[in-house]
Amino acid sequence: MASQKQLWKFREPAKTYDAVIIGGGLHGLAAAYYLARDYKMSNVAVLERNYLGYGGSGRNTEVIRANQRAPEILPFYVQSNQLWNELSAELEWNLMVWMKGLIGLAHNDAGLNAMRLRHETQVRMGIENYLLSPEEIRKLVPSLDITNNPAIPIVGGYHNPPGGQVRHDAAVWGLAKGCSKLGVHLCPGVEVTGIVVKDDRVTGVETTKGPISAPVVHMAPGGWSSDVARMAGIDLPVVTLPLQALVTECVKPFLNHVVIDELYFCYVQQSIKGDLIMGAHLDPWQSFNNYNTYEFAAEQAYFILQLFPDLAHLKLMRAWSGLCDMTVDGAPIMGECGPKGLFIDAGWGYFGFKGSTACGKNMAELIATGRCPEKIKFLGMDRFYEGRMVPEVYLARS
Amino acid sequence: MGFLIDCPNCGPRSVYEFKFGGEDKTPPGLKGGVKDWRHYFYFNLNVNGSSDEWWYHSGGCGAWLRVTRNTATNEVISVSRASADREVEK
Repeated sequence: MASQKQLWKFREPAKTYDAVIIGGGLHGLAAAYYLARDYKMSNVAVLERNYLGYGGSGRNTEVIRANQRAPEILPFYVQSNQLWNELSAELEWNLMVWMKGLIGLAHNDAGLNAMRLRHETQVRMGIENYLLSPEEIRKLVPSLDITNNPAIPIVGGYHNPPGGQVRHDAAVWGLAKGCSKLGVHLCPGVEVTGIVVKDDRVTGVETTKGPISAPVVHMAPGGWSSDVARMAGIDLPVVTLPLQALVTECVKPFLNHVVIDELYFCYVQQSIKGDLIMGAHLDPWQSFNNYNTYEFAAEQAYFILQLFPDLAHLKLMRAWSGLCDMTVDGAPIMGECGPKGLFIDAGWGYFGFKGSTACGKNMAELIATGRCPEKIKFLGMDRFYEGRMVPEVYLARS
Repeated sequence: MGFLIDCPNCGPRSVYEFKFGGEDKTPPGLKGGVKDWRHYFYFNLNVNGSSDEWWYHSGGCGAWLRVTRNTATNEVISVSRASADREVEK
């Protein structure tokens, strides 16, 4: 008999809270969870206008990793990986974390050089990484075509063990369960329509269910960050672009790593169920429409068949897209912004899913203690005015 | 689905023939300080709705266009040739 126990409770919002979080995705839920767990701040509401996990939290490709380019941001992603690995036991809920490791592929000298640069950075920071020849890669991924048959053959790559996959819905449900258990109010179906500021201090929000007063408002709205920040009169240095991905039908397990190709700009991994999750394409124009294009599917099929010719005739089952609010330097924006008591968590192009746990943890520390943790100190929005960019640029072709 | 842009020179063409040139923003002018210029370069209205934009027909006539597009639906509302008659602050 399956358990009938409710995992969480939804609430109508109360009139006043110690903190209000806008956005019930992984970022908002993680921030609420760590506020309650680490700082005993549980008089907190998570307001979500749709259902929990409606946005990018349910529209990603489930990859976690800590091999980004900018050295200053790596400790953040290392922490995120650790938190993902702790959370299942802590929440008593299986997030299906599978540290399968990443395989990166290079097809030319420029690609190899970029990998060497990142390899040196990672190794110096204690992140396990190996540079491999095509023959060595083939031992790990036997189905990969390392011959001269592809239009641009593989000349090398890396193996980065500390990365893998987390089941994204399970992560949303687990954090919702954890928040609910600690007394956080989860309020789906409540849209924030205004942010109230008095004397340069935030005093609450207007919602479709009436006004709510709170001395702290944390904005974690994912792709809709500009819409939300505008309610407080703030422009953000982001553009919102839909990132497309797809899955194939299920086949027998043959792929035990996340395979990432930076020249063909695609990646693929096989889920526990057996389907191949592939991405990703970013149309370089702003859009809030979660659309998919034939061009993407055709391009993706071509790229994947260059790497895995045996996958010919595999059916594509489903495609989706999630909104990415991209900054110009490719790194996120985290910190206090504008009036006192207003916090922002935005600008997560490719890294929103993998970074959500560490983001929640560090934002919770900042909100609860007023001290900005070292790991996110350089990620405030003022960096764009001061010219302190984080060299994370890793943009899609346009 | 992608969408079509009705180029005044070439007629309706696939969006993939075009390059996106960003939002139509007003530069701060010569009197603007570094902060104004950085705001102009890096910050965007990022409107969820009707947005004025620059597009370049790289796979066609090579003209710069001014397009008003609804970013919530990708509906193209109007297209015109970019002209040089816009006032520039001296």
